[in-house]
Amino acid sequence: MDSAHSHAGLRHNAFVYESSDQYQGRVAPFLEEGLAAGEGAVAAGSRDRLALIRDALGSSSKRVTFLETGSSYTRPVRTLGLYTQTLLRELRAAPSVRVAAEVQYGPTPGDWQEWMAYEAISNCSYAHLPAWLVCTYNGEALPDEVRDAVWQTHPQVLEDEWHESSHFEDPASVVRARTPEPEPLPHLRSLPPGEDLEGFRERLAGELSAASVPQRRALEMLVAGTEVARNAWEHGGGPDELRVGRVDGRFVCEVVDRGPGFDDPLAGYLVPDEDRQQGAGLWIARQMAWLVEVLPASPGVAVRLWA
Amino acid sequence: MGIRQEPEQELIAAAEGGDEAARARLVSSFMPLIGSMARQYRSSAVDREELLQEGVVGLLRALRRYDAKLGTPFWAYASWWVRQAMQQLVAEMTRPVVLSDRALRRLARVKEARRDYMQANSREPSVADLVEATDLTREQIERLLAVERAPRGLDEVLTGEEGATGTLGDLVADPVAEDAYERALELANTDSMGDLAEGLGERERLVLHAHYGLGRPARTLREIAGELDLSVERVRQIEEKALGKLREAAIWPETA
Repeated sequence: MDSAHSHAGLRHNAFVYESSDQYQGRVAPFLEEGLAAGEGAVAAGSRDRLALIRDALGSSSKRVTFLETGSSYTRPVRTLGLYTQTLLRELRAAPSVRVAAEVQYGPTPGDWQEWMAYEAISNCSYAHLPAWLVCTYNGEALPDEVRDAVWQTHPQVLEDEWHESSHFEDPASVVRARTPEPEPLPHLRSLPPGEDLEGFRERLAGELSAASVPQRRALEMLVAGTEVARNAWEHGGGPDELRVGRVDGRFVCEVVDRGPGFDDPLAGYLVPDEDRQQGAGLWIARQMAWLVEVLPASPGVAVRLWA
Repeated sequence: MGIRQEPEQELIAAAEGGDEAARARLVSSFMPLIGSMARQYRSSAVDREELLQEGVVGLLRALRRYDAKLGTPFWAYASWWVRQAMQQLVAEMTRPVVLSDRALRRLARVKEARRDYMQANSREPSVADLVEATDLTREQIERLLAVERAPRGLDEVLTGEEGATGTLGDLVADPVAEDAYERALELANTDSMGDLAEGLGERERLVLHAHYGLGRPARTLREIAGELDLSVERVRQIEEKALGKLREAAIWPETA
């Protein structure tokens, strides 16, 4: 699977295959070449795909980290965290790492939008790592919309041979285009947000308890809410309002601040610095809440957390 | 079939949010549908229990991703994951004759057409009948049927006074399924992400849970300090340390 181009940092490519033989015939040598060169190797896929790789690699497969995608492709931001952790672990033992990952893009157009945005974000999230990441797609069952998006989100695509993608788009633009506009939720109840972080947490905890949110999720929401409120105090002039309610069976809260707001579709999707000073708040909120949405308020910005 | 006792979306949110009882109720509600789907994939290489458990795995994958806002009913969404999980199990267990996803879908179509035909006519369809019902070619159907080696006993149609009443497999009590169901419930309650609070000490957990009313009525720091015979300031320090630990764990929750 030699690419025509080499990069010092991340290579994020896609491979659209048409048969199991083709998948096995390309992916196994790709990983094997990396192992021979002293690189780390990760294979992520369904169990039957991983079995093909194990069969082809034989005893070399012991040096490959296998990830079962059913349990790793849950929510995009959590998958970003999981892969980052996996890559960092591999890079503690090798100078670079190769990954072949079958993307679980799901059954509905809504899933496709979400996971194609994830593919775009991957170009930025792993950009600092010496990794060659090949996302594999089964072309036999690939919806046209996803096939098109593969070319928008990967600089190079392998079909029978490598192709430079002339359709590759700026990741932030892809994320913006594929993230649904948050709907207004006018029926949420408005509450004072508390005088400080502790007061905010007490208020939010009371609402989570009244809404019978399961204990584990309530704790995650307290952590997420704390981060959003802290951001509001540090960057947004302080929280102006806490809005809460139930939508589609889920507890929802919005933290509304008075600040200038921000317009970055990648906010909270990039792994925070090691000192946790830059960008950690929204990353943590996205990891903890089921969904985070950012929407303009007047004045300021509202960050909506779904439990 | 599915959920009748409570609003579906609230049960799904509770189950996804870590409520073990809600998970058990959700799995229980969908077991009949999972069992029905498992019949389509049964073969000599994969037994019913494995299929049912894999079906539950698929249901739980759907649970973690399902977005009610998008308007798709839960089973319409989850059935894709259940089917995929079963297909992957079949593909893995029947190697080296690995069927593509497309071939597996075609095989499911053939089996559905066969079942419909048998229920309507009380006899096995010919290949020509299946060609007509599925729009597949004779060659495709013969190849798919050759790969499939399912035992037929439980698929046998029972006929009553009012015609076909279902298959033997629908009516016979299935101890394997009951065992699989029990194991599936265990699976449902262990297939969740790491517990964020796992790294907390006992006192840190107690302070956080008491202060914020997690699983008990909320207390003030002063009340907690009185109970623990500590100063309010010391309790505040314990809480701050606990919150710091949670923040670190929250950076990488899937691997916590």
